[in-house]
Amino acid sequence: MNHIQQLRRTIRLGLVGVLLANNLLLLGCIVLLQRVTSLSLLVSAIIAFIIGLSLSVLLSQVFATFVTQPVQALWQAILHLSPTEHGVAAPEIDKLRLGRELVTNLSAQVYQLAEVASSTAKQQSTVDQSLTKNFIAQSLPLPLITMDATDTILFANEAAAQYIGIDAVNMIGKNIYMVLDMSFPSEDTFDAWLKKAKESSATASNLWERVRLNVREEHPERLFDLATYYNRDNPQKIETMLVLFDHTKAYSQDVQAISFIALSVHELRTPLTLLRGYIEVFEEEINTSGNPELQDFMMKMRSQAEQLTAFVNNILNVARIDDDQLQLQLHEEQWPAVLKTAVGNLSLRAKVRGITLHCRIATNLPTVGVDHISIQEVINNIVDNAIKYSGESKTIEIATYLNADGLVETTVQDFGLGISPTTIPNLFSKFYRDFRNRAQVGGTGLGLYLSKAIVTAHGGSVWVSSKENEGSTFGFTLVPYAKMAEEMKKSGGDEMTRGAHGWIKNHSLYRR
Amino acid sequence: MEPNTTPQPSTGRTVLCIEDEHFIAELYDRALTKAGYIVTVIGDGQEALKAAEANDYDVILLDLMVPNLTGIEILRSLRNPSRVPPLRAKIIIATNLEQRDDVRADIEKQADGYLVKAELTPHELVNFVDTVQ
Repeated sequence: MNHIQQLRRTIRLGLVGVLLANNLLLLGCIVLLQRVTSLSLLVSAIIAFIIGLSLSVLLSQVFATFVTQPVQALWQAILHLSPTEHGVAAPEIDKLRLGRELVTNLSAQVYQLAEVASSTAKQQSTVDQSLTKNFIAQSLPLPLITMDATDTILFANEAAAQYIGIDAVNMIGKNIYMVLDMSFPSEDTFDAWLKKAKESSATASNLWERVRLNVREEHPERLFDLATYYNRDNPQKIETMLVLFDHTKAYSQDVQAISFIALSVHELRTPLTLLRGYIEVFEEEINTSGNPELQDFMMKMRSQAEQLTAFVNNILNVARIDDDQLQLQLHEEQWPAVLKTAVGNLSLRAKVRGITLHCRIATNLPTVGVDHISIQEVINNIVDNAIKYSGESKTIEIATYLNADGLVETTVQDFGLGISPTTIPNLFSKFYRDFRNRAQVGGTGLGLYLSKAIVTAHGGSVWVSSKENEGSTFGFTLVPYAKMAEEMKKSGGDEMTRGAHGWIKNHSLYRR
Repeated sequence: MEPNTTPQPSTGRTVLCIEDEHFIAELYDRALTKAGYIVTVIGDGQEALKAAEANDYDVILLDLMVPNLTGIEILRSLRNPSRVPPLRAKIIIATNLEQRDDVRADIEKQADGYLVKAELTPHELVNFVDTVQ
């Protein structure tokens, strides 16, 4: 092996170096002592010999440590992997000065071997029993339990004891169902499988996902995959073997990782659902009875409920952005259709304030890559803002066109209060609202912050131009789908493929 | 809200509405029945799963937060690949619960539709159910 030759050469060179240095020192010492102290040759030779001896002991010590470094590193790697030795760190191969390549190579093989051993252990069904019991079972990091024909536990390894929270000694001799109270996601349960296996086959194996261990108090919840192996004619009477693969963290996420905000949102949404439901029922009745004043009230009520729903979504999305959890599913979409739907949803809110939304859509628009829901929230927020700040003006102009940079640009223009130049730079920050208008205009200052984050995540940008008392224009750009797809291809990203399996596209409007 | 906008084919389709919030269930029942669906409402997870297995529903509206068995558990059980024959019913998740995007994508993969209740009026919910055939 090339590495070993290299190592041997380095050691040989080092040794020669140590010897040479030592001899030179000796000679130098003799000469110096004679010259300086005019001692006899014999005396100076003796003194030089003592100095030389102690020096060579010291040097060889240093050298030995240096030379044995690679072996120590390897040993550390093995200890690091060994299941019985807890807390041994992996070797820091980078710090080695000698044989680094060799150690890296060998360590890699040690780790690989360990991996193979543990994956073999996972499929331990065919492994000889004594080996299983003595080596794999005790050192296998996975919980393992074996039982006999009467479902009595014969053996449980240390990992199983820790995982279940009962000492191995206390498990042995007990019925499996007394020890392991498991819940399965379907009627295809362990006991049903075992019963069937005992009736009909000599050997059988099975795997369940998302099994839940119903544990006693004060023991953490366990969620795992369960692999089992049944062998009726096993000579050691070990009929059934269970191996547990812990996935508590991953599986409990969908159950437990409901954040405070998500829960609050759930609590807000339930009364909202009812409110909107009852409003609809009332509207039906009032529209047939034909009292225009009540009809108008009902419409305003509906508009407010819609606004509240949108606000709840805003809270959620801001939390998402702050948590770096905003994920977009970019689909190819016809922009005019998306825009029209969003504007259509807003027309009620505009109408309640006597405002008309005008839409001008260019004909030459390419398709865009957008996340349907998120981008609708952008339109929602920007148009909503325009409605709020329209003042006495009764028109809002929405336009979309292909701009000079080849991007699809959309603008929303109102003719209302306008924004002071000092305010503009802070407009897109969280919770920022123009202080002069705070009293007159409702809002949280989340909408524009959110819009900017969403548009930026789409690869576009947001801008604003405004004149006080004349109105404001908000604009944002979107990247054409073709361009986006090309960039994705180049960077090897999977965003597009992820977005490619469309989810009942026509109704994704309702998704959130 | 003209009551006749619902397409005809919905008439006679059976819906199991798994919803523990009584008032919401009442509103959905009313709207779906009006549109010609035959509606069964069950508020308990375990009972709902039994009912879904025993009856051949066309559509199952599934809330994710129901007592005794979560909606996710019901969904997994109903969509278990080892189920023979596979369940015919279309499953629509109707929830107000916000999921992490990846969790949600996972749920969506197993269902035939996903909606947030607060986003839809009962009438719009009927329209949604109509389109999931």
